[in-house]
Amino acid sequence: MATVQFDQIKKSYGAVEAIRDFNLDIEDGEFCVFVGPSGCGKSTALKMLAGLEATSGGTISIGGRDVTELGPGKRDIAMVFQNYALYPHMSVRKNIGFGLKMHGMPANDINARVEDAARVLELTPYLDRKPRALSGGQRQRVALGRAIVREPKAFLMDEPLSNLDAKLRVQTRSEIVKLQKRLGVTTIYVTHDQTEALTMADKIVVMKGGEIQQVGTAEELFHTPRNIFVAGFIGSPGMNFFHGQVETGARGPVTRFGDAEIALPGKCAAMAGRDMVFGIRPEHLQVADSGPSIGLSLVENLGTEKILHFHTPAQNMLELDRSALANDEERDAQTMLIRVIDDRRYSDGEALNLSFPVDKIHVFDPDTNEVVG
Amino acid sequence: MQKRHPLATFALYATVILTCAILLFPIYWMIVTALQPSSNLRAYPPQFWPADPQWNVFADLLAKHPFMLWFSNTILIAFATMTISLAVSILAAYALSRFRLRGGTGLGLFILTSKMLPATLLIIPLFAIFRSTGLVGSLWSVVIAQATLIVPFCTWMLKGYFDTMPPELEQAALVDGCSPLGTIFRIVLPVAAPGLAATALYAFVVSWSDFLFGRTFLTTNDESWTLQMGIASLKGEFVTEWNVIMAGSIMASIPIIIVYLFLERFLVGGLAAGSEK
Repeated sequence: MATVQFDQIKKSYGAVEAIRDFNLDIEDGEFCVFVGPSGCGKSTALKMLAGLEATSGGTISIGGRDVTELGPGKRDIAMVFQNYALYPHMSVRKNIGFGLKMHGMPANDINARVEDAARVLELTPYLDRKPRALSGGQRQRVALGRAIVREPKAFLMDEPLSNLDAKLRVQTRSEIVKLQKRLGVTTIYVTHDQTEALTMADKIVVMKGGEIQQVGTAEELFHTPRNIFVAGFIGSPGMNFFHGQVETGARGPVTRFGDAEIALPGKCAAMAGRDMVFGIRPEHLQVADSGPSIGLSLVENLGTEKILHFHTPAQNMLELDRSALANDEERDAQTMLIRVIDDRRYSDGEALNLSFPVDKIHVFDPDTNEVVG
Repeated sequence: MQKRHPLATFALYATVILTCAILLFPIYWMIVTALQPSSNLRAYPPQFWPADPQWNVFADLLAKHPFMLWFSNTILIAFATMTISLAVSILAAYALSRFRLRGGTGLGLFILTSKMLPATLLIIPLFAIFRSTGLVGSLWSVVIAQATLIVPFCTWMLKGYFDTMPPELEQAALVDGCSPLGTIFRIVLPVAAPGLAATALYAFVVSWSDFLFGRTFLTTNDESWTLQMGIASLKGEFVTEWNVIMAGSIMASIPIIIVYLFLERFLVGGLAAGSEK
């Protein structure tokens, strides 16, 4: 068990900078998740921590020891790969015990440790099988077994659940969290799935374009996102954004949403006359008796909850290609979403009035994409 | 599964039988020719199995010619060529497959181009080199000459195989504490066993069938000849005992069959199955 520090880490491939200015402290025993879209550098950061990729600058420390120049085998870490990377010519027993053998442990001790790990992961009946005779979930557990048996200072996991089907993924997700809590080993976990990040992590590191966007707990990222990217990335569905000018109304700052006026947080008073980007989460928009009127364009019924789609008024639409959300393929500037959990029946084309709770409105500077206030 | 039309089944079996017949007929004819006197060879109608098989042709061959010496020379050359070619091409193919080398693609293609040179083109420069190094007449001359032609192709065969192996296997071994060279021996080679077996078989067969290099570099005395040279020498200027030549050819085919049978179990693919999702 150990702390992990990234200090001014850089990684470049020729002229292309894959990671820049990467600074991060991970506490002893913490479950830290790197999350971000494809190509954001999260796997590269993990591979640099593992020693599988050389850094182009900066230092990495594990347990206070500078390991930047050490090979992967000397860092006392264990890694679970996305494709599990089980040795196909070895039995499950040998796969799990391989790392211990490489570290010179006597055969009897290896066997005892392997049996223990297999018991924890319910792999005992499969110990003498080859990986090809196992199901996807069992292979995944063997990969986990190979990591835990070593009792390393840190676990590194590179999207270990992405090859499992949806049901098994949810189940394994909670098993990994329980295992990590029980063993108390510092864990660095990479995923592109923000649900995994939010449900598993003590600390989430949101990355984009090789840079850290924000570090925080699920709560912090959800409620106080630092910029438009984090606000749009975290949450499912992501935050709604619209554009508008801050005006001074009778009871404080307001902006126009279509033809209607909506109240803004008090901090916007100082921005009167400026164009800003506003964000509100789909679950915070409320169907009300009065307020801006919209027409539903699509109703998605997910059983307990419903996602209601409506068109963003033309004058409030964001210019996506110029914003921090430019690479978000799922993002659609023309549509905003409402997430409701109620028994009311909604239908396409239905007109509704909306309420925008003032304390749930996030305000962003369109030039810097950063949150204001 | 859709049921196959009877005509399609017939066509399939007919094609398989015809292909096998074309492939096996020369072997059958080699055996038939070996077991009857040369004078029967042009008999009409031809005999599909000799009435009185002459099994003593094998004993005659061994008694009159240093056949076993040629045999052991060829075995030595083929095993040495196979071992050297594999050792060199494993390392070259691994480097080409895994490391981002400056000009790596160009280097790979250059290696392949050298395979396209005809062996006759290399004979004269190789002869000059072997004469100056005193290797003419030594079995090593044939081993080195064959390796120059076999290594490029083996490198490409193995590179293709290594390319299909997920690099995470080696990364996992490195994280587990294995050294880079240990990773090759403990993980890469066992997983690549089918590819290695195919490559080894290729190297062995090519080396075993060589005539050109042996004929050029080993002419000094018949004690350093290879099987192919020895069998060729059995063809006389005026009289040729085809039954003896064919008996020699049968015996020369046996090691290839044994090597194939030994490597066959590794040739079956699918060993890498199970390493991934």
